[in-house]
Amino acid sequence: MAIMMPASDQAVLDRRDAIVAALRGIVPGEGVIDSAAEMLPYESDGLMAYRQPPMVVVLPDTTEQVSKVLKYCCEQGIKVVPRGSGTSLSGGALPLADGVLLGLGKFKRIREIDFDNRVVVTEPGVTNLAISQAVAHAGFYYAPDPSSQIACSIGGNVAENSGGVHCLKYGMTTNNVLGCEIVLMSGEILRIGGKSAENAGYDLMGIITGSEGLLGVITEITVRILQKPETARALMVGFAEVEAAGECVARIIGAGIIPGGMEMMDKPAIHAAEAFVHAGYPLDVEALLIIELDGPGVEVDELIGRVETIAKGCGSTTLQISTSEAERNLFWAGRKAAFPAVGRISPDYLCMDGTIPRGALPKALARIRDLSAKYDLRVANVFHAGDGNLHPLILYDANQPGEMERAEAFGADILRCCVELGGVLTGEHGVGIEKRDLMPEMFSEIDLNQQQRLKCAFDAQGLLNPGKVFPTLHRCAELGRVHVHGGRLAFPELPRF
Amino acid sequence: MDTPRVRDAKDVEQVVRAAIASEQPLEIIGHGSRRLVGQPMATNAVLELSALNAVTAYEPNELIITVQAGAPLADVLSLIDSKDQQFAFEPMDTSALLGVSGAGTIGGMIGAGLAGPRRIRAGGARDHLLGAHAVSGFGDSFKTGGKVVKNVTGYDLCKLLAGSWGTLAVMTEVTLKVMPKPESERTLVLRGLDDVTANRAMTAALGSPYDVSGAAHLPHQAFRSAAGGLAGLGAPGQATTLLRLEGIAASAADRAGSLGKTLAPFGTVEVLQDAVSAAIWSSIRDVLPFAAQGALGAWPVWRIVCPPASGGALGQQLSRDTGGDVIYDWGGGLIWAALPPRPDAHAALLRARVDAAGGHAMLVRASELVRRNVDVFHPQSGGVAALSERVRASFDPKNILNRGRLLRAVAT
Repeated sequence: MAIMMPASDQAVLDRRDAIVAALRGIVPGEGVIDSAAEMLPYESDGLMAYRQPPMVVVLPDTTEQVSKVLKYCCEQGIKVVPRGSGTSLSGGALPLADGVLLGLGKFKRIREIDFDNRVVVTEPGVTNLAISQAVAHAGFYYAPDPSSQIACSIGGNVAENSGGVHCLKYGMTTNNVLGCEIVLMSGEILRIGGKSAENAGYDLMGIITGSEGLLGVITEITVRILQKPETARALMVGFAEVEAAGECVARIIGAGIIPGGMEMMDKPAIHAAEAFVHAGYPLDVEALLIIELDGPGVEVDELIGRVETIAKGCGSTTLQISTSEAERNLFWAGRKAAFPAVGRISPDYLCMDGTIPRGALPKALARIRDLSAKYDLRVANVFHAGDGNLHPLILYDANQPGEMERAEAFGADILRCCVELGGVLTGEHGVGIEKRDLMPEMFSEIDLNQQQRLKCAFDAQGLLNPGKVFPTLHRCAELGRVHVHGGRLAFPELPRF
Repeated sequence: MDTPRVRDAKDVEQVVRAAIASEQPLEIIGHGSRRLVGQPMATNAVLELSALNAVTAYEPNELIITVQAGAPLADVLSLIDSKDQQFAFEPMDTSALLGVSGAGTIGGMIGAGLAGPRRIRAGGARDHLLGAHAVSGFGDSFKTGGKVVKNVTGYDLCKLLAGSWGTLAVMTEVTLKVMPKPESERTLVLRGLDDVTANRAMTAALGSPYDVSGAAHLPHQAFRSAAGGLAGLGAPGQATTLLRLEGIAASAADRAGSLGKTLAPFGTVEVLQDAVSAAIWSSIRDVLPFAAQGALGAWPVWRIVCPPASGGALGQQLSRDTGGDVIYDWGGGLIWAALPPRPDAHAALLRARVDAAGGHAMLVRASELVRRNVDVFHPQSGGVAALSERVRASFDPKNILNRGRLLRAVAT
């Protein structure tokens, strides 16, 4: 394993039998799993190159059990890794050898649907898609739609601040959650926010969202639901050059149009997708844009016309406009199947997730081409073009010695390039273990210390999901010290009253 | 007395470090337009940021602007307006309500985090702050977030900075999301509804697919000091319920027709357009019926945030119990209440009602004496209050920044 995880605590491992027994006292029956065979499914999440059996798996089904498990672990100094559906692409739910894996899979109930306040109160193990399905009969849906939405849990979405193809217009998870019940590592149960648009006091919901399971374990979530747009239509536009496609994206935004979704694929991605799903993608273009407009029919019709004019002005070589739901879905089919499609043409692939300023796209793609030659590995690019979120898929074969390491080094270089171009390491997949050691590319030690101090406010012993997000662990006492700089007043003229 | 002219983040670090060394709590101000908000502070020195006023970068096609915290909000708004863009959360201008001049700075806008009518559709200040450079109470300049609209790298400290009233860190530069301005707008007007019925009408509109971007209700009393754009509503003495639709003209017109049908059970619908409509919504955003220069200028003003469908009943009850006036925004989820003066500004009664409705309330306007005696910000439950204090201390352990502004216990 290329990524170092915190050293195992032998004293904890030596007490394993007693710990398992104590956990059985809290969560009865099959809720505690300690046999190697039965723990196998929990060894890994969506970042499958990394595996680690946990010390024990616990599957509570009440908030009180979660609280007691955490309180026990806190008192005993035992690490805990929370897990939803295990679809994280950054290793956020990778277990620790000396840690309890706390699965929230039994929290599967939607507790309340409140159409008047336009919210759903749900347990964290409910899948993203199930929320939309539960309110579809009244024309509502839950807007963030990560591509794993059939499987990923809403608790995991909150932990990772998940996005999706519609987040340019409708926001990420953080823009669509209002409140939660959270259990701190101490076992304390807190309610944050609720059905109101804003929390009182500091925006704790905002900081919990996207904290990658390091601050607390969420046992209930209140999400906003929206009315489904009346119609959606899509354009599929091909370009002979990536630069022209990038220009088209900039001009659409510049014209004040915020599409429901705006996706770009490069030639290798187009070919892989077309071979897989036969969506009718043009094969002689360098870049393909799928642009979806949603809203009232008259609005969509007019905006489709405006986007068509812009695309032609940017020199599009092919342009199709969907005339039916079936056709719109076909346009999307290739894009939505891009990852498995690439999986067909390569034994393994790594999916990267940097964000860049949209305008830097041609530069970024040129750099990725050069790196592809340097590392002698193929790459296919899919891109949430509307919000600058790039997903290069690096093709490799794990059975060839050294190839996975080469792929990882290639990926790290792509992310460094994103930061250099004014972007960030991760747009929606999270840091986890995957990008943990790249954090200093983007943040100074001072920046990271401030983030870790916040962690200390929630979990002073650092027992919850350690080894994720932060490249270096510090003790809270050390982080909390204030250094008095000299004591000389730099601004002695400061007014005092 | 002179105020140090801080020119950059380094200067701010120096001032904060000096304050730590001499244990002098600092009051952080931009233009000082919201100094009257909060508990009276236990600070005895001022850190003024108005010289940090540069626009670092404005990239309309990337939908972002990076600007120093002391930049005047009005200037930044007119800059982005020149590219037909806006802050979609409609930041409130508190000057009329507080009786001061000027809309303040970008840093103040984020620190206060007061969003206008479009919050129901576009989110609040916290949803539009993408990145920040700030100096913590450790005296260190740190950055968080980024300069792109989609980012999950590290903890999102921006969320905490927005609405923290300067108690966590001194922001020096922020990157904000900007969005295209709608090409046109329509406002549907219903007359004569009581608060609870109006709340139902707004709930019906917000539960429709017509993308309503403003839902407000003005009981008839709100017109007794009708100010600014509300004059365009005519027919004083009648309660008025307002629903806004924005977008390209064809779409706004089409949806106005559809929404009108949805609202038919609530009465006859009039439709107002563009400039008239815009003036009404900025009056609501800035709570002009309760302006300091108006008839209710001496009354304390509360800002209540609650589950939207319970707003009508809550506001009506408060109004009856206290003899005060209320206006509703956010489909009932935001209630502005101006209550007849009392030493406690009706805090006990109001908070009991608000708690029962699952909301929270902040005393936005009151005399210094009243603010000394009342919890300006909504008291939180034990565990959440303790966590909030640990969060605050993780940024500012010596309590140097705006000490006591949020918590009465610390101020006294």
